[in-house]
Amino acid sequence: MNSFLLALLNSLDIGLLLFIIAVGLNIVFGVLGVINFAHGALYMLGAYLAYAGIVGLGLPFWVTLLLAPLVVALLAVAIDRGMLHFIYGREIADSLLLTFALLLILNESIRLIWGNGIHTVEPPWPLQGTIAMPGGLRYPSYSAFVLLVGLLTLLGLWLLFSRTRLGKIMRAAAQDPEMAQTLCINTRRVITATFAFGAWLAALGGVVAAPMRAIDPGMGDKIIIESFIVVVIGGLGSFPGALAGALVLGLIHGLGGRYLPQLDLILPFVGMALVLLVRPHGLMGARRV
Amino acid sequence: MKRLATALTLLLILGLLVALPRITPYFYIFIGTQILIMGLFAASFNLVFGYTGMLSFGHAAFFGTGAYATALLLQGLQWPLLACLLVSFVAGTVLALAIGALCVRLDEVYFAMLTLAFGMMVYGVAHQWRSVTGGSDGISGFSVGTLGLGIDLTLGNPAVYYYVVLAIVVVAGAALYRICNSSFGLVLQAIRQNPERVAFCGLNIRTYRLAAFTIAGGFAGLAGGLMAPFLHVASPDLAHWTMSAEPVLMTILGGSGYFLGPFLGAAIFVLLETWITSITQAWMLFLGIILALMVIFFRRGVLGTALVAIRRRRSGTS
Amino acid sequence: MTSFSWKTALGTALAGAALVASSPALAEQPIKIGGIYLMSGSAATYGEFAKQGATLAIDEVNADGGVLGRQLELKLEDGQGKVAVAIQAARKLVYQDKVDLLMGIDSSGVAEGLVPVVPELGKPFMITHAATPAATGRLCNKYTFRDGTYVAQQMAGAAAVAADTDAAKWTTIGPDYAFGHQTWEYFSKYLKERNPDVQIMDDAAAFPKFGAEDFTPFISSVMAAKPDGVMISLWGGDLVNFVRQASKLGFFEQGFTNIYAVGAATEVLTALGEQMPEGQWLATRYWYDAWDTPMNKKFVADYKAAWGHPPSYNAEQAYMAIYAFKAAIEKAGSVDADKVIAALKGLTIPAPFGDMHFRAGDNQALIGPTIGLSGPMHESDGIRTLVQIRNFDGADVTPPVDPDCKM
Repeated sequence: MNSFLLALLNSLDIGLLLFIIAVGLNIVFGVLGVINFAHGALYMLGAYLAYAGIVGLGLPFWVTLLLAPLVVALLAVAIDRGMLHFIYGREIADSLLLTFALLLILNESIRLIWGNGIHTVEPPWPLQGTIAMPGGLRYPSYSAFVLLVGLLTLLGLWLLFSRTRLGKIMRAAAQDPEMAQTLCINTRRVITATFAFGAWLAALGGVVAAPMRAIDPGMGDKIIIESFIVVVIGGLGSFPGALAGALVLGLIHGLGGRYLPQLDLILPFVGMALVLLVRPHGLMGARRV
Repeated sequence: MKRLATALTLLLILGLLVALPRITPYFYIFIGTQILIMGLFAASFNLVFGYTGMLSFGHAAFFGTGAYATALLLQGLQWPLLACLLVSFVAGTVLALAIGALCVRLDEVYFAMLTLAFGMMVYGVAHQWRSVTGGSDGISGFSVGTLGLGIDLTLGNPAVYYYVVLAIVVVAGAALYRICNSSFGLVLQAIRQNPERVAFCGLNIRTYRLAAFTIAGGFAGLAGGLMAPFLHVASPDLAHWTMSAEPVLMTILGGSGYFLGPFLGAAIFVLLETWITSITQAWMLFLGIILALMVIFFRRGVLGTALVAIRRRRSGTS
Repeated sequence: MTSFSWKTALGTALAGAALVASSPALAEQPIKIGGIYLMSGSAATYGEFAKQGATLAIDEVNADGGVLGRQLELKLEDGQGKVAVAIQAARKLVYQDKVDLLMGIDSSGVAEGLVPVVPELGKPFMITHAATPAATGRLCNKYTFRDGTYVAQQMAGAAAVAADTDAAKWTTIGPDYAFGHQTWEYFSKYLKERNPDVQIMDDAAAFPKFGAEDFTPFISSVMAAKPDGVMISLWGGDLVNFVRQASKLGFFEQGFTNIYAVGAATEVLTALGEQMPEGQWLATRYWYDAWDTPMNKKFVADYKAAWGHPPSYNAEQAYMAIYAFKAAIEKAGSVDADKVIAALKGLTIPAPFGDMHFRAGDNQALIGPTIGLSGPMHESDGIRTLVQIRNFDGADVTPPVDPDCKM
C-alpha cells in the first residue's frame, strides 16, 4: 500500500513537471497553430543553462531559475523574427518541417557547446533531503518542490488567461486572428510574445528538471515525444487539457513503470492512440475551425 | 520534345547507375545501394505526402516491419530473398491498413501526431519483445542465401547485391509511378488540393486516403526488406521517429511535387551525410540549416526549383 | 563549345605532375587504425576515454619510431550505440579511409551485430570493451580478437565475491539488452555452482531500458522484493542516474550487499564523486590503483600527465590494443591482414597488470576482473578508492573455449 502511495506521488511529480513543459507547446499551438518540434530542445537548453550557471558560473539555483528561462525566451524571440515569421500563414506542413529543422540545429549546437557527456546538477541545499512518509518510505524533498512549482504554474497560467488583458488578447488571437487584427491588436507582437512565452515555460521546465535528470544531449528528444503525448491526450490548444494529459501520462509512468515495467515504452503510445480513437480531439480539445 | 528530353535523361541516369560499380571507388557501391533503398522508401512516403497531402511522421513503422520480416525469415527459415521481400511488402501493407484505418479520419496536425505515435509504438514493440525481435540488439548474424526463381547469384558480394537492389527498385519504382499517374493518383492529388470539392463529386476521400496510405506502407515495407540484408541487421531504430524523418527530409530536399524528387533527395541526403560526417561530427547541424533554407526559400526542392528555372529560361522570361 | 585551350592542358599537366611528386613514398605512409566507439549519448565519456588511451599509446609508439618505420594514425567514428551505424562506419573506415586495422565497440549489442560482418571487411578487429560472450563464442571468427574481459570472466569473479558474503537472496538491476541479461545469467549460474543454497530471485529482476532517465520505479520494485544482495550491471549515464536516484530513495540504507558488474569505471566514479556510497563492491577489468608493476606505474603516470585524470579500464584496453597490434605487425613483418591475425593468434605481450595472452582457440585474452569495496575518497584523484581489492587470475576464471566457436 505504501509503495502504491509512493508510486502515486511519483506520478504526480512526473505529471506536473510534464505539465510545465507541455503547456507551453499547447499554448503555442493554440495561438499560432504551430506544433513546435523544437520545444524539447528549448527545454534541454534551459537545463544546460542551469548547469552552466550553477556549475560553470557558481550561481545559486534560484538565480538560474530566474535567468535561464529569460535567456531562452529572448532566443525564442530571435528565432521567431529570424526564421518562423517566414512561414506563418503557409500550410501546417511547412511549420512542422521548419520547427523540425530548428530541432536539429538546436540539438547539435548544444552538443557542440557542451559536449557529449552527461552532466549533473545538485538540488539547492535546502531541498537535498527526503521527507519521511508512512511505512518507512521516503519522498525526495526536491520532488515535493516540483509539485509546488507545478501547482504555482497552473495557478499563474489560469490567472493569466482569465484575468489579465494579455491573456485575453492571446485567446482572441487564437480564436480569430483576423478579427483580433481588426480590433487593432498587434497580432505580430502577440505571436512573438506567445512563442517566447512557450519557450520560457519549456526552459523553466528544463531548469526545474535539471537536478532530477541526467543532463545529456538526448534529453530533448525524449521529452518532445512525451510532450506530444500529453498534448494529444489532453487536447490540442486546451489549457486544462494539458493538465489532464500530463496527469494521465504521469500516472502511466508512475504506476505503469512500477507494476508493468515491460510495457513502460509502449503504454504511453497505447494511451495516446486510445484517446484519439475515442475522442479524436483529445479529452478536452475543441474542434479547431 | 520535352518527353524525349525526359526519356533521355532517365536513360542516362539508369546507365550511370548500372555502370556505377565500375566507375567509382568500391565504397560507393554501398552508398549507391543505400541511396536506392532510401529513395524507394522516400518515394513511398511521397505518395502519402506529395500526392495525397498527408504529412506522416511514422512511415518508418512499415520500413522497420519490412526489415524485421526479411531478417527473421532469413535467420530462421533461410527463404530465398524474393520470397522474403514479398512477405515484407505484404507485412507493410497490412500494418499500414491497420494504422491507416485509425489515422485517416483525422486532419493535418492530428494525423501527423498519431502516425508519430503509432510509429513509436512499433519501435517500442520491437524494442521490448526480446524473445521475437531480439530487443534493442535486433536481429543479426543472418546471411542472404539465394535470390529465388532459380537465379544463382552470390548475394553476399556487395556489388551483386547492388545490382539486385537496382533491379528491384527500378521495377518497384515503375509500379509506383504507374500508380501515381493513374486516375487513382489524379484523385489523390485532387484530394490534396481541395478535399471538399472531391467529396462533393461523390468520392469517399477517406477510402482514397486509406488506399494511398496502405500502398505506401507496402512499398516502404519492401524498402525495409531490402535494407536488412544490406545492413546485416534489423534493429528497432529502423522504426524510430528519427528514421521516419529521413524520407520527409529527402522528399523536401528533392521536391515533393515530382515523382523522382524523393530519389534525388535521397541521393543528396546520403551523399551529404557521407561527405559532411568525414569532416565533422556535427552533420545534423548542417542538415538542419539546409532543411530550414529549403523550407523557407526552396519549398519546391532541388528538382522543383531546377525545373522551374529551366522552364523560365526556355520560355524566355527572366 | 569552348575551344581547346593549351593553357588549360598545360596547367592540368603541371598540376598532375605536382600531385604525383607530392605523394609520399609508400613506405612512409602511416598505418591507419580505425576506431568505432560511443562518442555521443549518455555513455559518450567511454568513447572519449578510449580515444585518450589509444592516443597515448600511438604517441608513445610514434615517438619511438613507429611500427616497421611507419607512423600510426587513428581515425575515429561514432558508433552511436547502434548496430547499423557501426556497420556503416566500419565499411567507411575500411573501404573509404583504407584503414589497416579496426578496434572498438562499447556496446555488446553492437558487437553481436558487427562481428559477423568483420570477415567480409577482411581486417583485424580488436574488441576493447564489449563484453558479450558471443564475440569470442558462437560468433567468433579469425579476424576478431578481444583484449578485455568478457561477461563470463567478470561474473566468475563477482560470484566468488558474492559467495563469500552472507547474502542469500540475490536479484539484479541491469540494462535491458544483451549485456544486462547475460550478466545476470552468468552471475546466477556461477553463484549457484559455488553456493547451492542461495536463492536467485528472477521475478524481482529489473531491466530498465538502456538510457532510461528514471530508475525510480525499478529501484522501488527491487527494494520491495527485499533481497539480501543486488547485482547491478548498469553502466555509463545509467549508473550515474541510478546511484543518485537510489540514494534519494534510501536504497543504500537497506543493508543490501551490492555488487556492480562494471562499477569501477572512472567515467562513472568521476561523475559521481562522493555520491558513490562506501561499502559497494565495484568490479572492473582494470583498476589503475591495483597493480604495483613498473609498467603500470609508468602508464598511470603518463596517462595522468596527458589527460589529467587516472585511466579507466576502457582507456587501458584501448591502449593495450595498440600495443597488441604493434607486436603482431612486428612479428609478422607486414601489415597484411592475414599475416597480422596469424601473428596475433596465441600472442602474449606485457601489460600493466602482467602478461596478456590471447587464447588461440577463440582469440580471447585471458584476463580476470578486479573487484574491490568502495572506500574513502582518494586524496587527489577526486574519486572513491577501492579497498579489499581482489585481483582474479584470467587463467582461473575463464571458461574453456566455447564449443560453438568454429574459426
